[in-house]
Amino acid sequence: MAQRILVVDDDTALAEMVGIVLRADGFEPVLCPDGAKALAAFRAAKPDLVLLDLMLPGSDGIEVCRQIRGESGVPIIMLTAKSDTADVVNGLESGADDYIVKPFDPKELVARIRTRLRPTQAVSGQRLRIGDLTVDAAGHEVLRGEQPIQLTPLEFDLLHTLASKPHQVFTREMLLEQVWGYRYKADTRLVNVHVQRLRAKVEVDPENPRIVTTVRGVGYRAGAAV
Amino acid sequence: MPAVVARPSPTVRMLQLRRSAAAPARLWRRSLRLRTVVITVVLSAVALAAVGGVISYSIARGLFTDRLNQELTVSARATVAAQSVLNGATSTDQTALENLQLAAIQQVHDAATPSGIAWLRSPGQVDPLALPVATSPDGADQVVTEQIRQAVESSGTQQYQSVALTATNGQLHPGVVVGDVLQLGGTQYELYLIYDLQDVQSTLDFVQRTLLIGGLVLLLLIGAVTTAVVTMVITPLKQAAKVSEELAAGRLEQRIPERGEDVVATLARSFNRMADGLQRQITQLANLSRVQQRFVSDVSHELRTPLTTIRLASDVLYDARDRVDAPTARSAELLRDQVQRFEALLADLLEISRMDAQAADVAGEPTNLVDLVRESIESLDGLARDTGTPVELVAPGGHVEIEVDPRRIARIVRNLLANAIEHGEARPVVVTVDSSERAVGIGVRDHGAGMPAADAERVFDRFWRADPSRQRRIGGTGLGLAISLEDALLHRGTLEVWSRTGDGTNFVLTLPRGPLDSAAPGPVPLVPADARSQTRDEAPVAVPERAGVGS
Repeated sequence: MAQRILVVDDDTALAEMVGIVLRADGFEPVLCPDGAKALAAFRAAKPDLVLLDLMLPGSDGIEVCRQIRGESGVPIIMLTAKSDTADVVNGLESGADDYIVKPFDPKELVARIRTRLRPTQAVSGQRLRIGDLTVDAAGHEVLRGEQPIQLTPLEFDLLHTLASKPHQVFTREMLLEQVWGYRYKADTRLVNVHVQRLRAKVEVDPENPRIVTTVRGVGYRAGAAV
Repeated sequence: MPAVVARPSPTVRMLQLRRSAAAPARLWRRSLRLRTVVITVVLSAVALAAVGGVISYSIARGLFTDRLNQELTVSARATVAAQSVLNGATSTDQTALENLQLAAIQQVHDAATPSGIAWLRSPGQVDPLALPVATSPDGADQVVTEQIRQAVESSGTQQYQSVALTATNGQLHPGVVVGDVLQLGGTQYELYLIYDLQDVQSTLDFVQRTLLIGGLVLLLLIGAVTTAVVTMVITPLKQAAKVSEELAAGRLEQRIPERGEDVVATLARSFNRMADGLQRQITQLANLSRVQQRFVSDVSHELRTPLTTIRLASDVLYDARDRVDAPTARSAELLRDQVQRFEALLADLLEISRMDAQAADVAGEPTNLVDLVRESIESLDGLARDTGTPVELVAPGGHVEIEVDPRRIARIVRNLLANAIEHGEARPVVVTVDSSERAVGIGVRDHGAGMPAADAERVFDRFWRADPSRQRRIGGTGLGLAISLEDALLHRGTLEVWSRTGDGTNFVLTLPRGPLDSAAPGPVPLVPADARSQTRDEAPVAVPERAGVGS
């Protein structure tokens, strides 16, 4: 069955064109031109991924992003006309997994979508321990004791990547490549924002992180700093 | 391991000393109020001391003269009374004479109140009728000097001399000795009356103390009044200075309170009018800038969305070019290439208008420039291989991390490299990275055709091309170097060019290492070493006008 992608963009020409590109690559696009109806469309279509224009009229993209994230961990990729504004950080903070700047290469768009839709590399069915957490790759869940913690697929990916090599320090660039699928230098804000989001969920005290610790000037690692 | 104790070196200590000595000096230089008050008080003190000295001296003189005249008169009367007793002498009997002397001394005591009396015989007398030497109290004659005795003996009239008396409690009191002669028969005696002037001294001390206290109080008063007056004058000035600082710091709504009609109020009013004008101008400019930025942002969104659609459509057509006839396929190729060029042009235009609106933000992070340059060289590997240009990296320095926006610096380096490869005519391109204490430099040198100085001066101009007819391998937008220069300036750095026909071109980017450093002088020389040795056809070094920092 084709994976369904909800395209929320008020520019019908662009939405249609994105639809054509996605269909050509074997996806099933669902178009929604109105930000205000995006949530209803999301509930109706049950998409595998959402492409969301940041600058929607009416209800803006960031609000839509927050609403969808409130209901589901489905991957969200933002489309934005500007890469260097606070909008991008706001979008990421409101729950978007990734963003792509207009005008974009269709192959780039498809590659971003495929990265977000690919299953976690959970070949080893074993459970990983990180701090007082258990990361169950096969069951795709994270437990603190017996208590499951709800993570989005991206957050799970990020935590799983860090937990799989608990003694390795990951630079932001390594994480961008392994979790987001970027082959070249990309925006490290992606990593920073998502580490903050992840910490907010898995840390007992996010101000004083013990699960995902920062290695100053290098990057991040799982567990407490040695 | 030996313990290392941090201790300030002698130089450091000396500096500290100098600094502690410099603190009051600085206060002196900085505080107009302190200066005014101190100068006023010091000058007043000098004046008061002079006036006080004169007053004190004349009072002392007046007191002494009065008292002396009084004592001289009294003494003269006492001497006359004693002489008249002596004149009534009838007997030469020793006892009678002594009684006579006692009576004479009694007369003296009745007439005057000396603290001491000395009755001496003049030397060289041979009369047998000798009255004994009498002193009261004992030893009173000690203060009678040889000097006054001679004066009395030689003149035979009243004489006086100021002396210091030792009081019973050991203190020295000022005193005066008044001497005169007495005659008994043929024998001359001298009568010295000693007066203690301590009461005069006490009066004088009291007057001087009063003067001193009065002077000090006056001085304090002068200091206080000066402080008050200076404060009154300085406060509005200080306020004006403070408000100026606030204005300079961007708080444009700050004003000086306007009170009264005096010159200070006029100053305040003029100042506030100036501030109003400034605020109006700045607000206007800020609004214009906001409008401009808003426009840039709108253009960005409005243009980018349709461009994305065109881009996607052209890519779909391009991918389908195998399935259509040749002219259509070629059209699809041209469409795609030109859309890409349009995209690059739009991106550059937006970037430079952001820079013009000063809306470009530098996202600084610690960056190793050698690594950054190496990555940039790798990213242009394809172009270098296509043109057969060897690219060499020489990095004697610059292996430190400095705070820059790596995206912008990499863009500059890629731009310069692409240019060098483009114009390098397949000859080696040398990229140099070096650092000094204060700056890091990146030089990109090609050995291509180079350009005349007139052209080199214009390379940073927007949309300027050295040779319009020249074929370009890479689709430059004509804005690359202009953006690179802006990027360099955003980092407070410089981007300079040297070029000579036949010898190639050298671009040098110099960046300050720290926030307090300046980019000049740069560690990488603008004129390459291999070109410096040659003297022929020396073209002037072109420095872009806008690279105001350093250069």
